[in-house]
Amino acid sequence: MKVVGFLLVLIGWLAPVATLTVTQSMTVRLVLAVIGISISLVGILGVLNKAHLKHAIWKS
Amino acid sequence: MSGCRRMTVCLWTAALLLVCGTAWAQNQTNPTTSAQAVPAPAMNVPLDVKAAQPPSAEDLAKGDPSGTRTGTVNDVVASDPSKGLTLADTVNQAGQNRIAINFVWTLITGFLVMFMQAGFALVETGLGRAKNANHTMMMNFMVYGFGLFAYWVCGFAFQMGGGGPYSTLGGATSLTSEHTLSFLGKTWGVFGTHGFFLTQGGSYDVAVMVLFLFQMVFMDTALTIVTGAAAERWKYVAFAISSLFMGALTYPLFANWAWGGGWLSQLGANFGLGHGYVDFAGSGVVHAVGGITALALSMLLGPRIGKYNRDGSPNAMPGHDIVLVLAGCFILAFGWFGFNPGSTLAASGNGALRIGSIAVNTMLAGCTGSFGAILYMWIRYGKPDASMSGNGLLAGLVAITAPSGFVNTIGAAIIGLVAGALVCLSVEFVERVLKIDDPVGAISVHGTNGIWGVISVGLFADGTANYGGSWNGVSGSVRGLFYGDPGQLVAQLIGVGTLLGFVFGLSYGANWLIDVIVGQRVSAEDELAGLDIPEMGALGYPDFVLKPETVPSGGSPAVTATVIPSYMSAD
Repeated sequence: MKVVGFLLVLIGWLAPVATLTVTQSMTVRLVLAVIGISISLVGILGVLNKAHLKHAIWKS
Repeated sequence: MSGCRRMTVCLWTAALLLVCGTAWAQNQTNPTTSAQAVPAPAMNVPLDVKAAQPPSAEDLAKGDPSGTRTGTVNDVVASDPSKGLTLADTVNQAGQNRIAINFVWTLITGFLVMFMQAGFALVETGLGRAKNANHTMMMNFMVYGFGLFAYWVCGFAFQMGGGGPYSTLGGATSLTSEHTLSFLGKTWGVFGTHGFFLTQGGSYDVAVMVLFLFQMVFMDTALTIVTGAAAERWKYVAFAISSLFMGALTYPLFANWAWGGGWLSQLGANFGLGHGYVDFAGSGVVHAVGGITALALSMLLGPRIGKYNRDGSPNAMPGHDIVLVLAGCFILAFGWFGFNPGSTLAASGNGALRIGSIAVNTMLAGCTGSFGAILYMWIRYGKPDASMSGNGLLAGLVAITAPSGFVNTIGAAIIGLVAGALVCLSVEFVERVLKIDDPVGAISVHGTNGIWGVISVGLFADGTANYGGSWNGVSGSVRGLFYGDPGQLVAQLIGVGTLLGFVFGLSYGANWLIDVIVGQRVSAEDELAGLDIPEMGALGYPDFVLKPETVPSGGSPAVTATVIPSYMSAD
């Protein structure tokens, strides 16, 4: 799951950048940037962090 | 004279008058026509110095209490004393004066930022427990050395090696070597390649030295942020390795992309996104990089023993000295007058006289930041919490760092107020929802509000700043969404995405590797005893016997630890 989370973090960063040449529409670029940030945040806070919490010190 | 002949004479006379009149009129409307024929004054002809009426030796010997006789034509140095002062000498002196003003400004503001290290040390130590005071202080003390060394070896070269020339500093023209990639039909700057050891590639240069000092203290601010989030359980050797890596690679790479001519700064020129990623003094480059690295490390380290009960509910672990915390906040606020206004790299020319506005924006945002936090805590919990008020001040300062050079005072006040409330919300979210332990709130102050500062540029930049007529190679002033440029907001969001994707990814990966090789976290016994003795070999407060600490453990027998210096042992 940590690998999945890490990959989501990278995809959320690279996808909006890669699509900059696909469209000139500022609205579409804005939406894609927001979606990318959201994907990265899900990867960090939702997937990676949850994977770490499974073995948290306060659970032992 | 016949009538016909008379007419001919009249016509010729009229034509002659017309031609002469036209020539005369042209001479009046184009006075330079005759002036262009006058040769320009020679630059190397000795000037009549006496015409400037310099004070006599007798006048100078009387003293100059008013200052009106100090600083005159006598103080302009002639390149050839035997010839005397020339126009070339005075013109050269004017140029050197401009650069000298900018050098002094940049250096002194850099010294202020360096002093912020003391502020961070006090805040972090005060928010931690007394048994870890030596360890926390030593992390903030030595991060200066570790970061500086790594930055001197290679970090500065990666960051600024391709960012020049810098006209405000007289050139630094050796810093024009950037490694680029061709991708999607554009050129993407990735890292610089001049400036290793401040010697390679022509970087042994006075302007480069000034730039290095100023950029180094910014880098060190990012590194020291991480020590707060990892305090009270981070191995000192792991801290050292992690700091060296961050100073050598993580920080310089993102900083190159934002400030060193890299691809983020070129989003405007390449893709029409405003002026590219804009970050005046480093909400993103410094604070968000530090805060996001702190997030990655805190996740890897795990929380302190006793921070959470078995049901996941958090326990408060108050700091041991609020006096240190608030004194540290004031030192940071003072240093921020170097952080933001100094980022003009100039106090003369190129719109640099905006330094007053930048300083006022900084003060205001810090002020409203503390208001936002104190109001939130007072309304929610019934008391004006001191540590959160301090964090609110810092949050406001962090958030205004990126937009400080581009917004008006109304925008600055709003940015700070939002930051003050945001830091409180973020602290609660990180602690209670994410269950990430951050002893000083570094993730919320610097990470969350660093990102808010980056986004603020894309919203509040008002288009009145003029730093040489362009920014990041795009002419005109920076404007945000509220002033008519949505492309600027998109560029800022791409920057936020890069902070989350690249900085978090690289920091997480590097610190995971350090964990595998040397281990990041101290043993449970050392953590409970306090890191001062096991890690540093000496107590921060050797004259005090620290009270036993009972660690609640949600149902299991409580763990008690008492710190007793070895020379006081009973046996």
